[in-house]
Amino acid sequence: MTLKDLIVRNCKLYFKDKGLFFSSLIAPIILFFLFVAFLGGVYKDSLLSVFEGVEIESRLVNGFAGGWLMSSLLAVSAVSIAFTANCVMVQDKMTDRYADFCVSPVKHYQLALGYYIATALVTLLVCSVALVVGYIYLAIVGWYLTFTDVVLTILDTVLLVLFGTSLSSIVCKFLKSQGGITAVEVIVSAAYGFLCGAYMPIASLADAIGKTLSFLPGTYGTSLLHEHFMGGAIDEICSGLAGGDVYAQRTREGFDCVISFFDNAVPEWACYLIISITVVLLIGLYILLVASPWKKRSKKVHSS
Amino acid sequence: MNIIEIEHLKKYYGEVKAVDDISFTVKKGEFFAFLGVNGAGKSTTISILCGRQPADGGSVTIDGMSLDGHADEVKRRLGVVFQSSVLDAPLTVADNLKYRASLYGIHGEKWRAQLEKLTELFDLSELLRRPVGKLSGGQRRRVDIARALVHDPEILILDEPTTGLDPQTRQSVWSIVHRLRKEREMTVFLTTHYMEEAADADRVVILDGGKILADATPLELKNTYTGDYITFYGASEEELAVLGASVERVGEAFRLEVKNTAEATELVLKHPKLFRDYEITKGKMDDVFLRVTGKSIGATGAEEKR
Repeated sequence: MTLKDLIVRNCKLYFKDKGLFFSSLIAPIILFFLFVAFLGGVYKDSLLSVFEGVEIESRLVNGFAGGWLMSSLLAVSAVSIAFTANCVMVQDKMTDRYADFCVSPVKHYQLALGYYIATALVTLLVCSVALVVGYIYLAIVGWYLTFTDVVLTILDTVLLVLFGTSLSSIVCKFLKSQGGITAVEVIVSAAYGFLCGAYMPIASLADAIGKTLSFLPGTYGTSLLHEHFMGGAIDEICSGLAGGDVYAQRTREGFDCVISFFDNAVPEWACYLIISITVVLLIGLYILLVASPWKKRSKKVHSS
Repeated sequence: MNIIEIEHLKKYYGEVKAVDDISFTVKKGEFFAFLGVNGAGKSTTISILCGRQPADGGSVTIDGMSLDGHADEVKRRLGVVFQSSVLDAPLTVADNLKYRASLYGIHGEKWRAQLEKLTELFDLSELLRRPVGKLSGGQRRRVDIARALVHDPEILILDEPTTGLDPQTRQSVWSIVHRLRKEREMTVFLTTHYMEEAADADRVVILDGGKILADATPLELKNTYTGDYITFYGASEEELAVLGASVERVGEAFRLEVKNTAEATELVLKHPKLFRDYEITKGKMDDVFLRVTGKSIGATGAEEKR
């Protein structure tokens, strides 16, 4: 009951703090405007140039580009919203609120769980709204997702939300000032989209950068979303072509639906394994961070 | 009966001795004041007492229980009002109280009964649905105190509760605290740098540089460290010269410091014609503090150069 109230309190603080709420939407909004301004056109042109001479109906092209937008948007949102939602924890530490919690009998692990679950719920809620809006958008411009794709996009989103929540919980554990929050928000909003391959396909970046980014686990989560949002459209385009499988594979590689680790294509199951193990490791690290200072303190307190 | 017992408490930050081997007790139902300039060690002591930070030595016993091993039980006996408000500004007053109560395991029917009690005690019915961010300073402080009492603690710790508040709000805070003491016989542990607040306490401990310099009732402190003052109205400086002591002009009156009330009475009997319009007052806590520490406190709690 106490944990439930802590979670509700943290969620309410996020949604009632307009500054916090809107700042978490900066990265997705940037991405949306980039898409409307030129990225959408770039992806459509790229796709058409790959299939030069092939007649592709506009609904298919729009479905493909829309799939890119939605997968990128969700990949960025899952992390940027989690970072902002976790600002509730940093703000509590900045003010005397966290100290105030500590004079009550509430356990440190309950506080830590309260922040973690609230961040996960808030991020999941906002991403779920984006996901539903995305499905509606794709249904209008061009729907090429199978039932399995829909289920997998939901699974990918949940995994990325857990990844974003765990990563932000660890980073925010070390933040104690408004300056720190702002710096992290700016970095996450501006840089994460590039780092995870949401703004530009990693395949289109320099080889060294691509290899470096392949070490980041978030990249594999983004790749899964790309595949499940765009794979249907790619298969549809290539279905009637001679050597369609080869075209489909090349297109997938060019648009990060398949990601390579040092020129070796990483299979889908491996992507799931990488992102899942990363989530487990990050949660473990967070638990260690939460538990360690508490144990030390309880040993030392009030020794005569 | 002692509700708080602190023995040889120490807290060092490198070379700085924030709390330097202090011992004192607080009786159940007592209004206890910790008086000192900023950095004297008041808040550090409170912080240790509440279990927020570890001590480097010594022991804290509250209601017969050592903090070591009974932290949760001890915390249930404490209600703390910090210098700055810890309310969540975007949330309503009711939410703030509810989530605080939840930390003490107060839910459901028990919570509703507690809310009703607090609403009546602090006159909160008009404020419950309003976001804290839209309340005035005085209303917010009222909610802060209500929140500290949400679990019916036995000890109310007020850590400089009126610093930075306007006189009217300070007055309203104190009327609530005095009412609580009267109605609930609650132990109040106050840290302050306001002399007039400490003067109302049952017992005052003066802290400086992490050490206790004085521990007594305000009256004992005044009798020990200051004399009495006779203020003469309507008497001229020439007339007062017969007293053979230097008098200080205070507005239209003259003030004479004497050792004690007995000496004042002696003067009244010896020079009745001078005592046409006069008053005899005890020294103030400012004088006590100055004599004890050699320092005076500014409005912000910082040491004031003299």
